[in-house]
Amino acid sequence: MGALLELGWFLTLLAVGYGAGRILERRHYASIRRRERELADVLAFTMRFPPKTTRAQHAFLVSGTVVVSSDYFKTFVAGLRRLVGGRFRGYESLLERARREALLRLKQQARERGSALVVCVRFESTAITRGRVPSIEVVAYGTALVPQPR
Amino acid sequence: MITSNLELIPGKRIVEHLGIVQGSTVRAKHAGKDLFASLKNLVGGELKSYTELMQEARTEAVERMQAEARSIGANGVLNVRFATTSITAGAAEILAYGSAVRLVDA
Amino acid sequence: MRLENRAPAEGINASDEHPLREFAWLAGGALAALVATVVAVSLGAQWLAPKLPYRYEARLVRDLPAQPPPTDARGREALAELQALADRLAARMVLPEGMRVTVGLRDERVANAYATLGGHAVVFRGLLSRLDSEDALATVMAHEIAHLAHRHPAAALGRGVAIGIVLSVVSAESGRGAAGAVLGQAGTLAALSFNRDQEREADREALRVVAAEYGHVGGAVDLFDAFEAMQRARGDGAATRVEWLRTHPLSERRAQAAREWAAARGVPVDGARRPLPPALAAMRAAGPARR
Repeated sequence: MGALLELGWFLTLLAVGYGAGRILERRHYASIRRRERELADVLAFTMRFPPKTTRAQHAFLVSGTVVVSSDYFKTFVAGLRRLVGGRFRGYESLLERARREALLRLKQQARERGSALVVCVRFESTAITRGRVPSIEVVAYGTALVPQPR
Repeated sequence: MITSNLELIPGKRIVEHLGIVQGSTVRAKHAGKDLFASLKNLVGGELKSYTELMQEARTEAVERMQAEARSIGANGVLNVRFATTSITAGAAEILAYGSAVRLVDA
Repeated sequence: MRLENRAPAEGINASDEHPLREFAWLAGGALAALVATVVAVSLGAQWLAPKLPYRYEARLVRDLPAQPPPTDARGREALAELQALADRLAARMVLPEGMRVTVGLRDERVANAYATLGGHAVVFRGLLSRLDSEDALATVMAHEIAHLAHRHPAAALGRGVAIGIVLSVVSAESGRGAAGAVLGQAGTLAALSFNRDQEREADREALRVVAAEYGHVGGAVDLFDAFEAMQRARGDGAATRVEWLRTHPLSERRAQAAREWAAARGVPVDGARRPLPPALAAMRAAGPARR
């Protein structure tokens, strides 16, 4: 009896993780695409040297951070994947979401402080594992430039 | 596709900056090789299967970054940087990112 | 110089493939591979272990403490009667070279009996108190002696060790999460089917011996019916109807198999039951043990 109950509980968790996880992921991606269009005028580059310009620039550090967690379904599939090897498709989409979100937050902060150009952008990511479900923290940081008024 | 961690390629001129492009993979080695690596932890030395894994992952990350660059009309990626994160035991993420540009001969 | 941020194409870093497809083939593949490994390893261990000469098994358990004999006089008489019955039944079977069946009697309420390494067959008082005839008791003894004759304890030990190794590798590789636990359970369930096959084999041997000794298999049918009644009385619920979760076949299937076995060989299913020997009958009348 115990074994059947455990199996049932596990399948329920898996279904909830899958269902809710997919819905949240789709909504997050939709939000990301919408904000990417909105913030398309704030430019970000990884180049170290800003383009030569005659106007003095006001420069400051901006950053965007986000922590995204895996869900039960993704973690389970990753557990199976570790036996077989290859790509972790679930985690790849998780990381892509986190990076795009971090970059958007960086651009948002730049815009709020009056900048339309961010250079020398760098990414850092860390994995935080609470219990068995991993979360990823992504930081995007760069230097925002505001042309000073004449 | 010119890929470099330089800011400027000697002999080339940048005409367009097209934005940030990224490529990443999350991979693991299969259980057989992983087990062998655990045994190797007893004696130490190079874990060839993991070296291979990281190499393959890095190559694929760079290829994906180049694919993103190609999709926006760039012919070069400059200022390339790598970042590695370990997600769980046995699974590592390799990220390659850079600036997509259009280059012409100087 | 133009400065622009163009959005790259989707689907390069994240796959468009439906996650359920990946889940289906990973889960199905991992499960299939695990079950195949467990089956292969079990068959190998099962085939190999009995090939080891019995004297090594005997030597292995020689230094372990034996079941202490009963402290009261009636208990000792009952044990002697059990041993005599076991010897009579064992004479009808082919035992491995050097094996002598040693009977043990445990003073506990549990309704059970088991066979273990070194030629030991042990019966609990709780089971004795539920058997009405020597026929039924003989079925139990013959079943356990059949396990010994076929070297099932050795095979089960080999299987257990081999499966333990496989499952520990799997759980180490897939981590402490749900995947490792699920695969571990699946492996255990695959192993249980080997247990059930051994039980069926022991049942068939016991039927042959009981039919030869008493002329009919009524005692065996009584025994399996008693098991079924005990199960229903315990009221374990729906899960006990599911055979693949159990170490033994379902009791009603065992009763059914006994009737079919008898019908196929023209052996009567019913007949006069021999009463229990005196000391055992007295023990049964005294009721179940204190504990």
